[in-house]
Amino acid sequence: MDVSQYLEIFIDETNGHLQNLSDCIMSLEKDPENMDTINEIFRAAHSLKGMAGTMGFKRMQRLTHDMENVFQEVRSGNMSVTSGLVDVLFQCLDAIDAYLENVKESSEEGTDDNEAIIQELNDILAAGTGNVPAKEEKPAEKDKPAENADEDRFQKKYLDIEFSEKEKEELRVSEEKGMKLYGMTVYIQEDCLLKAARAFLVFKAVEDFGNIIVYNPTSQDIEDEKFGFDFSFYLASEAELDKIVEVSKAVSEIEEVVGEKVEYKELTAAAAKKEEEAAAAAKEQEQKKEAVAAIPAAGSKPQAQAQAQNGKKQAAGKPVTNRTVRVDIEKLDALMNQVSELIIAKNSLVSIGSTSDGGVGSSNSQAFHEQIEYLERITTGLHESVMKVRMVPIESVVQKFPRMIRDLSKKLDKKMELYMTGEDTELDRTVVDQIGDPLQHLLRNSADHGLESAEVRKKRGKPETGSIHLNAFQEGNNVIIEVSDDGNGIDTENVKNKAIERGLITPEQGAALSQKEIIDFLFMPSFSMAKQISDVSGRGVGLDVVKSNIEALGGDVEVKSILGEGSKFTVRLPLTLAIIQALMVEVRGEKYAISLGSIETIEEILADEIKFVQAKEVIHIRGMVIPLIRLDQLLDCEPEEEEKESLTVIIVRKGDKFAGLIVDELNGQQEIVIKSLGKYINNSTKIISGATVLGDGEVALILDVNTLF
Amino acid sequence: MANNISVVENGKKQFIVVKIGSEQYGIDISYVDNIVRMQKITRVPKAQSYFKGIINLRGEIVPVMSIRTKMDLEPDVFTDVTRIIILKLEEHGVLGLIVDEVKEVVTLGPDEIDKVAYDAKNNKSNFINGVGKHGDELISLFDTNSIIDETETV
Repeated sequence: MDVSQYLEIFIDETNGHLQNLSDCIMSLEKDPENMDTINEIFRAAHSLKGMAGTMGFKRMQRLTHDMENVFQEVRSGNMSVTSGLVDVLFQCLDAIDAYLENVKESSEEGTDDNEAIIQELNDILAAGTGNVPAKEEKPAEKDKPAENADEDRFQKKYLDIEFSEKEKEELRVSEEKGMKLYGMTVYIQEDCLLKAARAFLVFKAVEDFGNIIVYNPTSQDIEDEKFGFDFSFYLASEAELDKIVEVSKAVSEIEEVVGEKVEYKELTAAAAKKEEEAAAAAKEQEQKKEAVAAIPAAGSKPQAQAQAQNGKKQAAGKPVTNRTVRVDIEKLDALMNQVSELIIAKNSLVSIGSTSDGGVGSSNSQAFHEQIEYLERITTGLHESVMKVRMVPIESVVQKFPRMIRDLSKKLDKKMELYMTGEDTELDRTVVDQIGDPLQHLLRNSADHGLESAEVRKKRGKPETGSIHLNAFQEGNNVIIEVSDDGNGIDTENVKNKAIERGLITPEQGAALSQKEIIDFLFMPSFSMAKQISDVSGRGVGLDVVKSNIEALGGDVEVKSILGEGSKFTVRLPLTLAIIQALMVEVRGEKYAISLGSIETIEEILADEIKFVQAKEVIHIRGMVIPLIRLDQLLDCEPEEEEKESLTVIIVRKGDKFAGLIVDELNGQQEIVIKSLGKYINNSTKIISGATVLGDGEVALILDVNTLF
Repeated sequence: MANNISVVENGKKQFIVVKIGSEQYGIDISYVDNIVRMQKITRVPKAQSYFKGIINLRGEIVPVMSIRTKMDLEPDVFTDVTRIIILKLEEHGVLGLIVDEVKEVVTLGPDEIDKVAYDAKNNKSNFINGVGKHGDELISLFDTNSIIDETETV
C-alpha cells in the first residue's frame, strides 16, 4: 500500500473541488448571504484540506486550512463576504491550482509557501473577527467546533482486543527482549475521505519506533477500508509513548490517539476478565459506540449496523467510477488510425467492385456488392462510434471564463457580465484542448476593447453593466462558437487610419475598401488597436494568433460589428479532424476532395450565363449573385485550349457567403481520411488542407474552400 | 549482418550510392527507410518548385522532392531506373528524394572521406558534407540534414 496509488484520484477530486469552489465563490459574491453556498464552500475547502493532508502536501494543506478558517467565521456569521475577500479567495484557488500543477508534473507540491496569500487571509480574518487566530491551532479543534471534544468518546479500545495464541506468544517474546508494549487506539475524523490512507500513514509513522504486533481490525481490513473510524494496535518498541502518540497525531485528520504502556501479564489477565464482564460491558458500550458510529472489536449487533452504514456510504460514493473508463487519448488516436485504414481498405474494395462491373453481371458480383454495402455500413458505424468516444463537451474549457471575466472586470474597472449558452456542445477532444486560448483571447478582447467604460455607456443610454455573450451550438458538420459584446463595436474609420498610418495601404486604397476588408486588418500580425498597452491586451499579438490557431484546427473566424452597438466574433470549427464525407472532383485530370459540409448545391450552367461584376465573373442564380472561382486557374493548372459550353459549378458556402467553383468533372461522394501533407511542403496559402488516399491507391488533395472567401 | 555491425563499430559508415546526372552521390544508409520505384506523383499546387508532389507509400502520404531542381540541375527525366529514396528523419518525418539511378552500397572509413570546405556561393555544395573515395571513383556525400533545413527555411 502506497499513497501514490491515490494520486490520480487526488488530482481528479482536487480539480473537481477547485472548480466547485470557484463557481461557488462567484455566486457567493453576487449573493453573499446564501448559507447553502457558504456551506458548500466550507465543505469543499474542508475536503481539499483533508485530501492534501492525507497525501502529505503540507503547504497545500496549510493554505486550505487557513481558507477554511475564514469560511468557518463566515459560516458562523462573524464575518461578511466582501469583494476584497473574494479576491483573496481567488488568489488562493490559483495558488492551489499551481500546487496541483506541480503535483501533476512531479508528484510534489512544489516549494512556494504562498506566505503572502496566507498573510492576507489571516489579516482578513483578524479584521473580520477582531482577533488574530493562533496559527498553530490544531485543525481537529477548529474543524469540529460544534462537537466539544468528549473524553468519553475516545475509549481505550485496544483493551477489547482478543489475542490469538500466536499474538500472545509474540507479545510475550517482545517483552522478554526488553521492549515496552504499548496499546493504542487511533480515532479518525468521521468526515475523513481516505481512511485507509490515513491508517497507513499512522502505521508508517509508528513503525519507525517498533513493531506492530496486533492489529484490530486486521491489517488487510484496514487496507480495504473495512473499518469504522478507529483502529487499535499493539506495538513493541523501545521508544517513549509520548513520542509515538505525537507522530501518530501528526497525521492529518486523526482526531485522537489514546495509548498506554501495558504489560503482558495484565493483558492476558484483562482479556480473561473481560470475557466475564462481556455481557455487562456490551450493553454499556453499545450506547456509546452507536454515538460515535464505530465498530466495536467484539462482534455484536452495532458492528453489523455500522458496517452496513459504512458499506452504504462507500456504495454511494463510488458508482460513477464503475461506469466510465479512463482511456489515454493516444490509445483513441491509435484506434482512430485503425478505423481510417479500414475505411481506406473498404474504399479500395468499393473501387474494385465498380470496375469489375463492366464484366459479366453474374449473381456473384451482386453478392459482392451486397457484402460491400454491408461492410460500408459497419465501417461508417464504427467511425461514428469512435468519433463519439472522442467527443467531449466544451464545458471543461469554458467553465473557467466567468472567473476570468470577473477578474478582468476588476482589473479594467468596468462592470461586465458573461452569459454562456451551449456549454454542453461537443467537439473532438483535440479541438477542445486547443480552443481554450483563442476563446480566452476573444473574451479579453471584448472586455478590453469592446466594452466601454461605465460613464460612456451611461451617456450612450446603455445599461451600465456591459454584457458579453458566449454561445456555442452545432450547425451541420461544424460547431459554431460566438463571442459577442454590446460594446463600442469596431471603429472601421479608426482601423483604416491606423492601416494608412502604418503604411499598409494608401489613403486612396483605403477609400475603396469594404467594411470586411478593413476589419481583416485586425487579424494581421502585430496590428493592435489599443492606444495603451495594458496587461490585458494591446501588444499586437492578438487576433492574428486567434486566427491562426483556429485555422490550424481547420476552422475559421469571422467578425461582424456595428459601431456603437457591439461586435460579434464567430468561430467555426469542424466536428472532427480525421474523417469527413467529401465530394470528389476532377480538374484537368487531377483529383480533389471538397468537404460535403460546405457544399450547398451543384449546378450545370452555360458559359454565356457568366456575367461580370467589377471585372469578376459571377453567376446569377435563384436570385443570388455568386462569384465564380475557376479552380484550374486557382490551382495553376495548364490552361484549357477552348472554353466549354457547359460548366459544372459547385456552390459552396461559408456562413452567409457563397462562391461557385468551376470544375471539370464530378466523381461522386466518398468518405475520406484526412492526412497531413507533412511539414516539408510549404502550404502558406492553405488552399490544400491535406491529402487522402483513394481506393485505387491514388492520392487526392483536399481543398479547403473556407480559404477561398 | 554481424559483419556489417562490426564494420560500423570501426567508425566506418555505409552509403547508398546514387546517380544524379553524371555525378555519383552517397546517402548515409542510416537515414534511408526504403527505396521505391517511380510512381505517380500527385502535384501539390502552390508548393515550392522543388517539391514534385506527394505519393502514397503504404497508406502514408510522403512528400517527394526533386533534388535536381533543388540543385539547379536540368529537370528530371524519368526512366525505368529512376527511384525514389525514402528518407526517415527523426522529428521531421518522411521525405522522398528522386534520383536517376541507385547503384550500390559502399562502406567508407573515416580515412576515405574528405571534408568539403563550405562554399557559400555554390548552392550545390551546401548539401554536400564530404567526398568519399571508393576505388577510383569519387562520391559526393549528402548532408541529409541540410537538405531538410534548407527546405524548411525556403
